[in-house]
Amino acid sequence: MNDVILNVENLTTAFDTEEGQLRAVDDVSFFLRKGRNLGIVGESGCGKSVTALSIMRLLPKPAGNILSGKIDFKGTEIISLPAGDMHAIRGNQIAMIFQEPMTALNPVHTIGRQVGEIFSLHFPEMNDSDIRKASLEMLKKVGIPEPLKRMTEYPHQISGGMRQRVMIAMALACRPDILIADEPTTALDVTIQAQILNLIRDLQAETGMSVIFITHDLGVIAELCDEVVVMYAGQVVETAPIRELFHNPRHPYTRGLLTSIPTLDSAHKKPLKVIHGVVPSLDDLPAGCRFENRCPHAREICSTAPPPLVDINPNHAAGCYFAKDLTPWKPVNTGSGDNNG
Amino acid sequence: MTAYFIRRTLLIIPTFIGITLLVFSITRFVPGGPIERMIAEAQRMQVEGGGGAGAGAGVQRQPLSDEQIEFLKQYYGFDKPLLNSYLAWLGKVIQGDLGISTRYQDPVWEMIRSRIPISLYFGLIAMALTYGVCIPLGIVKAIRHKTAFDNVSSIIVFIGYAIPGWVIGIYLLVWLAGWWDVFPLGDLVSENFDELPLLQKLLDLAWHSVLPVIAYMIGAFAAMTFLMKNTLMDNLAADYVRTAIAKGLPFRRAVFGHALRNSLIPIATSFGNNISVILTGSFLIEKVFNIDGMGLLGYESVLERDYPVVLGVLVISSLLFLIGNILSDLCVAVVDPRVQFD
Repeated sequence: MNDVILNVENLTTAFDTEEGQLRAVDDVSFFLRKGRNLGIVGESGCGKSVTALSIMRLLPKPAGNILSGKIDFKGTEIISLPAGDMHAIRGNQIAMIFQEPMTALNPVHTIGRQVGEIFSLHFPEMNDSDIRKASLEMLKKVGIPEPLKRMTEYPHQISGGMRQRVMIAMALACRPDILIADEPTTALDVTIQAQILNLIRDLQAETGMSVIFITHDLGVIAELCDEVVVMYAGQVVETAPIRELFHNPRHPYTRGLLTSIPTLDSAHKKPLKVIHGVVPSLDDLPAGCRFENRCPHAREICSTAPPPLVDINPNHAAGCYFAKDLTPWKPVNTGSGDNNG
Repeated sequence: MTAYFIRRTLLIIPTFIGITLLVFSITRFVPGGPIERMIAEAQRMQVEGGGGAGAGAGVQRQPLSDEQIEFLKQYYGFDKPLLNSYLAWLGKVIQGDLGISTRYQDPVWEMIRSRIPISLYFGLIAMALTYGVCIPLGIVKAIRHKTAFDNVSSIIVFIGYAIPGWVIGIYLLVWLAGWWDVFPLGDLVSENFDELPLLQKLLDLAWHSVLPVIAYMIGAFAAMTFLMKNTLMDNLAADYVRTAIAKGLPFRRAVFGHALRNSLIPIATSFGNNISVILTGSFLIEKVFNIDGMGLLGYESVLERDYPVVLGVLVISSLLFLIGNILSDLCVAVVDPRVQFD
């Protein structure tokens, strides 16, 4: 276990709202190994982005607060770290790229200035021409054509894909140990998505960093990740290595997600498989399992108390009373049968 | 960009003609005017000169003969059709001749020129103080949103906003100058100003300026402070500020290095218009404090139907306003690289 670079234990993050304190992330635990990719998957509002922002300590203030838990980064406890020490970690050792490349860059500063800023921030000994050279090098590395010209341009003059490349250039400028990518390709079109994912994978191979991929797209997870954390309504419902998750999902929600992916040989012009019902609201959570109202396997016990995470094997756990009893999984790409049932 | 500004500059011409033609025609149709004033004056002189006897009949009678009125009309140019006399007036304006005041018989340009330093003095001080106070205040209010400081300052600023500047001026005069005698009752300088040494002159000027400057500022204060606060808060919540902090910037540097410049864009849009406000001053505030600036000149010329002065002030202020609009565009282009004006 000493190759674990980030260990999140029992993280609970809440937002103060007019409806009271809402726990967007509730007792979430997972770990990230050095040089490996972890996927956090789940639908909108399940707490995956808030988990990432908690790690970065970037929660919107004063509403968002970490209530309890531990985040251990290379032996440093991040949650209790003074703000000043956190500045030295952010961008330098843990970097993050965001969903919206269109708005994530400052519209009134040039690309060169925004990339250069991170060098001047974390390497104060660098002089202006060093910073310029290093910025140019980073832009080249992320595959931006005509990097010299781009340095003097503003974000509105380049495309969304290029902006995300600039974001990646900034994120990787200091060779961080961990890159958190919060839906980095959601706002981009499909061909650009593939380019950006390949770029991240290539750069990872080069630098040996670990990546946390936050997405709702299981395709991205399948392509890039070694391990997967499935989140639902603020909680982890299943953690497994990537193959295990796709071949032997043990939580009905994970199964639901897998069945709702359309495949080439699924029946044409038929509605896609869906998980019926809606996620319970954070201010009105059930006493038992949070997936109970949508679960085809729900029984009485499910509404009594939250199910514990059951270990299927040392690397695989699922938060369901029937995790071990579910029928064997027929892989999705056979496209037949009702795997959800 | 150059083409845009040339186009905008050329557009000043038709706009200017529109403004002045409108006011010029109004001066023809509203009651009053130099001839009626002269008739009234002649009547008064007749009444006073004629003594008690036959006074009642004298007031009724028209004191000026038709020929005299005809002569006056010719003298003031009221005999020609509206458009002809407008063109004649415009022709003179283009040559830099704003005409002669019908009340004081002084050249209008001289009258305006002598007041420009006074209006400029108040305008510049008020503008510097408004920007100098509102921008920092807005920044602090945005960062300390919903704290006691924010709430209390909001209440004060809103009270100031709800009361017009000249009303506040009257209250300030009544309380601080009338009751407590802390500040002078009006005027720009004391009567013995010329005898004072330089330092005392400056102090005297400052002492006289405090209340008018407050009255000048108070109106723009709320709008500017809240514009600053709200745009900064919007920008603080923007994705790019989160990016900046994620890069490792401390919050302060993210605010001043990233959010601030974006927040100045809406403020820059109104910057150019200030030059017209600076120079033309405020009719009412100058009246309240008895300051002999452009504002008071304009105000009195309207009351006295001194049309050449009314039009002269209008020429200056509308030109400044139109140039100010272009300046605003320039300011925005300077702060916001996305603005291209193609």
